[in-house]
Amino acid sequence: MVSTRLRVTALTAGAVLLAAGCGSGDSGGSKSELKLYNDKGAWKPYFEQMGALGKQQTGLDMTPVGYTDEPTYTAFIKTSFRTNVKPDLFTWSTGGRLEEIVKQNQVAETTKIWQDAIGSGDLTEDLKKYYTVGGKQYCVPLNTAYWGMFYNKKIFAKYDLKPPTTWAELEKTAQTLKSKGQVPFNQTTPTSLFSFAWFEQLLAGTDPDLYERLSKGQASYTDPGVVQVMERWKSMIDKGWFSKPGDKADPADHFKSGEAAMVINGTWFNTSMTQRGLKQGKDYGFFFVPNTNPALPKRSLVFESGPLCSLRKAPDAAASTKYLKWWITPAAQEKWANARGDVSGNPKVKNADPELTKVTEQAASDGNRLVLRYFEAAPSPVLTEALSGFDKFLNKPETYMDVLKSIQKVNEDYWKTHKAGS
Amino acid sequence: MTSHKATASRPKLTVVPPQGNGRRHARGGRAGFALHGRFRHVYISPAVLFVAVLLYLPFLWTAYLSFTSYDGLASPEFTGLDNYRRLLEDDALLTSIRNTLLWVVGTVVLPVGLGLLVAVLSYDLKGGSWFRLPFLLPYAMSGAGLGVIWGFILQPDGMANQILSLFGMPGADTAFLQDGPGNTIAMIIVWAWQQLGVNMLLFVVGLQSIPRAPIEAARIDGASGWSMFRHVIWPLMRPITTVVFGLALVAGLKNFDIVWVMTQGGPGRSSETLAVTMYRDVFVANEYGYGSAVAVLLTTITGLASYVYLRRQVGREEPR
Repeated sequence: MVSTRLRVTALTAGAVLLAAGCGSGDSGGSKSELKLYNDKGAWKPYFEQMGALGKQQTGLDMTPVGYTDEPTYTAFIKTSFRTNVKPDLFTWSTGGRLEEIVKQNQVAETTKIWQDAIGSGDLTEDLKKYYTVGGKQYCVPLNTAYWGMFYNKKIFAKYDLKPPTTWAELEKTAQTLKSKGQVPFNQTTPTSLFSFAWFEQLLAGTDPDLYERLSKGQASYTDPGVVQVMERWKSMIDKGWFSKPGDKADPADHFKSGEAAMVINGTWFNTSMTQRGLKQGKDYGFFFVPNTNPALPKRSLVFESGPLCSLRKAPDAAASTKYLKWWITPAAQEKWANARGDVSGNPKVKNADPELTKVTEQAASDGNRLVLRYFEAAPSPVLTEALSGFDKFLNKPETYMDVLKSIQKVNEDYWKTHKAGS
Repeated sequence: MTSHKATASRPKLTVVPPQGNGRRHARGGRAGFALHGRFRHVYISPAVLFVAVLLYLPFLWTAYLSFTSYDGLASPEFTGLDNYRRLLEDDALLTSIRNTLLWVVGTVVLPVGLGLLVAVLSYDLKGGSWFRLPFLLPYAMSGAGLGVIWGFILQPDGMANQILSLFGMPGADTAFLQDGPGNTIAMIIVWAWQQLGVNMLLFVVGLQSIPRAPIEAARIDGASGWSMFRHVIWPLMRPITTVVFGLALVAGLKNFDIVWVMTQGGPGRSSETLAVTMYRDVFVANEYGYGSAVAVLLTTITGLASYVYLRRQVGREEPR
């Protein structure tokens, strides 16, 4: 009779499924293949190139598991801390978000890797502080990027313009472009994660101390210094220096088509340019944005570094650590940087692109003061409010005080329950 | 007046009854064994377990989290009614509630109302199915695809403004998605464009299931046009309108995908709905406790609205 056999089969299958569900996701032990979870789904080809090289040099295979939606990725990683399905390797952010997961005793310490790498010159002391929590290091740099201005060389040549070296020159450049009917700056894409870009640039270029105090809960968003920055930003929008807010086109497409002459972005934007067939030095160039306040002793240089981490309880902690050590070696970093067309955190790496080498050398000079990108510097709830607020401001610049008050309210709430300045 | 009383019929309106005796079928053979045998609890238990584990338990957990402060990492910290107090003071939540109400009204009035209109106008029309086809096609699109395409159409220099400009019409620089509540209204219209077709289809099915006898009787009594629709057809369509309005009500309350894809609730939270606020607070701001309180509020509103609506409608359907 079918029913008896069917029932036995169904119940057995159910029992097996339940047992599988209750079992551990990974048997642990020695692994020869690691999975690298990341929120950079578009970088899959570059991760795969690293996987092939890593297998040759370490014997460990690596498969990227890319997410394209940041909240989904974050939720997955946080959930994995409480389950047996743990990533071998994963990407994260520095600043408050790294501190948050380190405090939960989840992340594998990498102090020894950093000591050795600094000793051999593969990493720098400058970078170390962004990976330090409670005097110990965690994770290694997945990527490093500096923020600056990409400019369309053909448009600059057409109007006989040169990359500005002072804020006054930048303003003059924008005025000239505007007078010729050319939009100087590309506005941030709506719903993107980067509506903070001009805020951080203007504030860090005006008062980097205030910028750092703000991110540590030691200053208010309604501080007169912050208000002045918003007023400056508003005046730039009012002058028509930005493309229309709400345009959903990719900034790289606007840049390529010449709709905007300049776009502020991280050096990883080179990857988008390369993907569109543009060549640095020929089609476009890059300059660091001069300080708004010329009296500052050093140029404020916005910097980001995304960590590659492993967990204390990774399925095979030794294999994950081995891969992290390899990741920062010159051979690995050269491949990684050149594949994406970006700078490397390893100072020994020579970029195939001489323009990128120039950027790295300029960034490493003594005349700069590195400031952490706002995305990493601001605590998560404050960042979320700020991104919404700046998005509102871009559409209605006159609302800047309301925006600052809203962010400050969340800022106050956050720092009530967190130790300011830690 | 119910459909089983229908006697006379013309081919288009015929309701085909189930073949054979349903009850006997259920008791006999394998189906009967499944419903009434010793193992019926075993058979139904996977479904019950599924619902309990994937619906009730998460809801209870969410309700618990709404009384805590929780960032998804450290253990939840009990904070009593703090999250609910914060709800009352949150301006963004008020905007979110306003937008959700707009969505409810919009989804009931536009896709359902227009769907009914198209269904009634095209029902007896020669070649009516061809007339209805264009309205049905957008339903084939996914919510996310719809959002992406219309996001580009409605952006500042998008197709909508370009068309207005091409014909020299006013409003060629309209910021469709930049200002609230205009952005919510624009998205409701996009939603209506997609959903109109399926509502129209359901109403056509409803029209086809109407018994012929009362219509003929009303016609003999002199009813036609609006009076026929208002006093005969509309009351007879109540089974289908109950379903369509109920679905529209819930769809309006829980709307998320199209808003998230088109504006992510922005600019500046101006187009958030309760579902978007909940997602934003939980998964973007990592405020699981506060986001859970929003989730409980949304569930309560949806549950209450559905309960009140269904009680009223089902009550009317009871035999008289």
